[in-house]
Order: sequence, then C-alpha cells, then structure tokens
Amino acid sequence: MGEMREPVIQVKNLYKVFRVGNERVRALNGVDMTIYKGEFCAIVGTSGSGKSTMLNMLAGLEKPTKGEVIIAGQHLEKMSENQLVKFRREKVGFIFQSFNLLGTMNAIENVALPLTFRGVNKKVREEKAVKMLKLVGLPKHMKHRPNEMSGGQQQRVGVARALVLDPEIIFADEPTGNLDSNTSAEVLKLMRKVVQEQNQTMVMVTHDNHLAGFADRIFHIIDGKIVKVENRSEYKEEEE
Amino acid sequence: MKYFDLLRMSASNLLRRKLRTALTVLGVIIGTASIVVMVSLGLGLRKSSLAQIEEYGGLTTINVNNYSWYNSDSTGDEEPKRIDDAVVAEMAQIPHVEVASPLLDVSVIAKQGAYEGWFRIQGMNQEALQKMDIDIAEGELPPADGNLQLFYGNQVITNFYNARTNEYYWETMEVPDVDLMNEPVFLIFDTDAYYQAGSTDGNGQTILPPKKYIIPTCGMMAGDLETYKENCNSVFADIDALKAMLKKVFKNKVIPGQPATKSGKPYKELYYEEVYIRVDSMDHVKEVQQAIQDMGFNANSNAEWMEQTQSQMGMIQMVLGGIGAVSLFVAAIGIANTMMMSIYERTKEIGIIKVLGCDLGNIRSMFLLEAGFIGFFGGMAGLILSEIISAVINSVVGKASGGYYEQLSYIPLWLILVSLVFAVLVGMVAGFFPALRAMKLSPLAAIRNE
Repeated sequence: MGEMREPVIQVKNLYKVFRVGNERVRALNGVDMTIYKGEFCAIVGTSGSGKSTMLNMLAGLEKPTKGEVIIAGQHLEKMSENQLVKFRREKVGFIFQSFNLLGTMNAIENVALPLTFRGVNKKVREEKAVKMLKLVGLPKHMKHRPNEMSGGQQQRVGVARALVLDPEIIFADEPTGNLDSNTSAEVLKLMRKVVQEQNQTMVMVTHDNHLAGFADRIFHIIDGKIVKVENRSEYKEEEE
Repeated sequence: MKYFDLLRMSASNLLRRKLRTALTVLGVIIGTASIVVMVSLGLGLRKSSLAQIEEYGGLTTINVNNYSWYNSDSTGDEEPKRIDDAVVAEMAQIPHVEVASPLLDVSVIAKQGAYEGWFRIQGMNQEALQKMDIDIAEGELPPADGNLQLFYGNQVITNFYNARTNEYYWETMEVPDVDLMNEPVFLIFDTDAYYQAGSTDGNGQTILPPKKYIIPTCGMMAGDLETYKENCNSVFADIDALKAMLKKVFKNKVIPGQPATKSGKPYKELYYEEVYIRVDSMDHVKEVQQAIQDMGFNANSNAEWMEQTQSQMGMIQMVLGGIGAVSLFVAAIGIANTMMMSIYERTKEIGIIKVLGCDLGNIRSMFLLEAGFIGFFGGMAGLILSEIISAVINSVVGKASGGYYEQLSYIPLWLILVSLVFAVLVGMVAGFFPALRAMKLSPLAAIRNE
C-alpha cells in the first residue's frame, strides 16, 4: 500500500556513536527506513535500544555521526543549528512524554506558542489555538494553567500544540508514558483520529507493545538496528 | 517572532520573580543614583566656579595692551609698539576672534549738583558694545550717530562724592543724590587743568579752569548698587564720538595719555592703550592669546585661571564619578548573577521553546531584553532618586553657604539621558553572556531532565 505514496522521511545508513569514557557506544548502527505521507508509525524498543536517539535525529535535535536523514526533501545532517530550529518551526510538531507545557501560560497561550515563534498575530494565533483545543476536546479548559489540569488534559494540550502549526510531521516521544492506561488509550485514539483527518504523518516512540498497536506500521529496534517492520494487521494477529 | 511578543515574554518572565527582580533593580537604582549624584556635584562645583570667573571679567574676553613696563625685556628707550586701527584690524583677522575693538580710555571728572565723581570713559566700537551682553535697565547702548553719549554701569554712582562735605559713599554708605539718567551731567575732560586752575604755569600764565561739557546719558546697566558683575563700574561710549569729542576739547594740544612727538606735538592719529577682544568659545582663548602675544602685545585673560579650575574640576568629577561607578559595577554583577540564576531555573523551558522552533536570536534577545529592562527601570528609578537627593543637597548646602552655592548639585538634561542609556547598556552587557549561554543550551539536555 505504501508504494504509491511519496516518502516524507528517508533515513539512509544512519550511525550515531557516543563516547562513554574510553568506550564507544553505537546507539544507532546503520539504520535505513522510509516513512510515507499520512502514515502513523511507531518505533518500538526497550530502553537503551536507540529508539529515542532515532527520534532525536529525525527531529534534528541531535547530529548523526554518519548517514543521511532526508525529511520533506531536506538533508538534516547538513543543516546548522539555526536552520534546524527554522526547520522544526515550519515542518515539525512535537509531543513530549512529560507534556512540557510552560507553567506560566494558560492552555491557549501554550497552544499558540509555536505560532508566536512564527510571528503570527496575537488574534490569529489565539483563534487557531481555540480551534485546536476544541478539536482535542478541551473547550472548557481554555484559560486553565497546566497545574490546574489532569495529566490527560495536559497531554491533550500538548497534542493541540503539536498540531496547531499544521506540520508535515508530528513526533511523539513516549506520549503516554506519564498517563494511566485508560487515558493513554484515549489520547492515542485522539492522535490517530486527528492525524487521519488532517492526513498528517506521525512518528511515535514507545516501549509499550500494546500502544504500538495503534500505529499503521511498527518498526522494532534492538541495539541500534531495525530488526523487524510490521503492518498493523500482522502485529495484531501476533499479539492475539 | 514579533518584537512585541518578545517584549511581553521578557516582561512576564521578570514579573514571575518579583522579589528577585526588585532586588536586582534596587542594585541598579543605587548604582545609577550614586553616579548621577556624584557627577552632578562635580558639575555644580564647576558651574559655580565658572560663574565666579565670569564675574571677574568674562570667560572669553582677552584684554590686550602695550604697557611697556609689563615687558621686562624691553629697554626704556625703545619705542613701544603702538596700537592703532590697523593693528586692531589685524587682530580681528585672527581665527576664532569674534569681536576686536580698540579701547580708548579717558579719565574725566563728572559733576552734578554738589557731587563730583571721577571715572574713566571707555570708548569702544559699535560691534563690541552690542556683543558684550550688557543688560540694559533704561535707555539704550551708545548710539553711532556721532554725538557723544554715555552709558553707565550700575555701580558708577558710588564714585561720586559730596564735594562740599568731602563725604564718600563708602564712608557714609549714603547713596549719592545723583541721577545720571534724568539730570544733566557736566564732564571735565582736561583734568590737569581742573586741579591746577588758579596756579601759574611755566610761562607765568595763570591756568584757566577748563570748560565743562554737558554730555547726555543714553542708558544705564541693569542691577542695583549691590549687584557686582562684569563692567558694573564702567562707563561706555561710542569710540568715534569719543574721539571727535577729544579732538574738539583739546584742539592742537596733546591729549592726556596719548604719545607726543619729540617736539611735544600730538600725532595726527589717536593711539589706543588697550584692545578688547572676544573669542567665540572659551576653548580657543588660549590660542588667540598666544597669537596676540606673538604680535608683540601683552594679552591677559582668565584662560589660565579657568584652565586650572577646569582641570581641577575634571579631576574632582572623575573621582566622584569613579566612586559612583563602583556601585554601578556591583549592580552589574548583580544583574549578571540574576540572569544566570534565571537561566539555570529555566533550562527546561528554554529547551522546550527550542524544540518548538524558537529562533536562537529570539532566545538571546529575550534574555538581553530582560537584563535591559532591569537596567532601564533601575535607571529610571535611580534618576528619580537622584533628583530627590540633589534637591535635598541643594536646599541644605544652599542655606548653609548663604547662597554662595546656589546649585551645588546640578543635573543637566544630558546627564539624565546619558545615565539612562548607560544603565540600560550596563544591564545588557551584564546580561550578554548569560543570554549567549541560554542560546547555546542544547535542547536535548534541556528537555531530558526528568
């Protein structure tokens, strides 16, 4: 089903080597992957498998040691930090494990923050933020500060903040790691729904096999290498 | 990012930590106030000493003369260098000279009623008279219509004494009953003849009392008898009118004070003993004075006095300003410290906004603005504080010194502007390295701290 679609993320022969004392640790050891537009992908692995490093590479938060990362036609490995910031501002939405909302701002302001960085007018960006908050089901919490909301609500605000830019790709780093299982499922369903509606691409990193089951395709990563790629249908069968 | 949003974010970050911001601002307030007050003291001292010099004959005037006794190296039989119109014109050509006027000095005796006074009339050209900044109380400056009219300084009246009682003003402190403006004043130009009248000269002829002339008054200088200022004791006249008068009075005789030929006859031309010169600014007085001395004349000004005062005041100002600067420096360290703390606290937040795509330059500007705000508000409040301190100093010292220092602490507009800009700059410089640090913070390290 993927052959007809245009690739949004292409990773070719990616290596990342950390130095720990005298030892060299290969966090990523020759990764190749392609993610197509409109896909919801999950990268699954145990802790220390290199999945978070992978995500950081894709989002341009870390520089690869070797290899290519091409996102929306742009080579991330060749960009300066300023260009990377600009790239994230224009193309990427980010959902964090610990929500990472700014405590001094209310929900609207938090959601509107990426638009602020883009230099959008206050009126326009708040309108958009309100729209996004309604979309994620928080019409009554517009003026609430993060500490006045539950974890699930906070992560909904986080989702709204990632989506408000209308980004090409959304990265989610253990988005439900701090939530209970019921809320996790709710948030993931919401993410799925929104991504499908808006035909966006999403890459999620998780260690939870069950949550990975919400994705279209699942990449299994062990010791810095992708060992298996499954479609959802295959994955479900396996699980059952 | 829009500039207004940047401002808003910086301001709200400051407001989040009100107490710490207030304490840091307080440091800047004290620093700014101490610099401003110290410098204002220096400026006030300088101002009052310059005003003092001005009272003693102006800051930009040079007095030129050819008194040969002044030149120790010239021998007695040498002809002194005479000052005529050509020499004056030459002096007027020296760069920075604004006014050059010959000064024709004539001693006269004046009479009105029972009172008699002795003073000197100073004949000057129109340009010099106009530009001497004389405050006129009544009438006008000596006109150029060729008729001799006199303009009196406000203290000239004290030169009159009662000829019948021989009482002088400074003995009795009674103001002489002389009205120079409205009553006629009789002038005697040939003072020698006046004192010798009745005796016989070398040829055995009795000397006749000299003729008296009524010379009209054209104006009076502003101020009462107590007001001491430049020229308050002078009597001015138009030089051409004065020359014409002298020629009429003395006819073919030698005018007192003028040189004579070897046979005792007067020269055709009148020579001057002094030249009044005004320079465009006090910075050039020294230079013009030197040029005139090179021409072979004596030139006196307050330049040296002034220079000495200036350098003294400059030193005082530096010392005072230095003391103030130390406290502003301490305040700058306070700002840097506050900013560093704030960055440590906000490491995570900075990481988040970096991941969300906030421009690196914007992050730097945000922190610089915060530091600048601290400097600005500290500077503003510091200025208000220094105005208050300055007012207190002035009222206390003004009373204690009996009005000698009317403004010991003087805060001009430029000092206000400069210190405000300086406070903002100090804030920004102190905040610069913290801001760079925030900018370079790795977004990963920033968001990873669980």
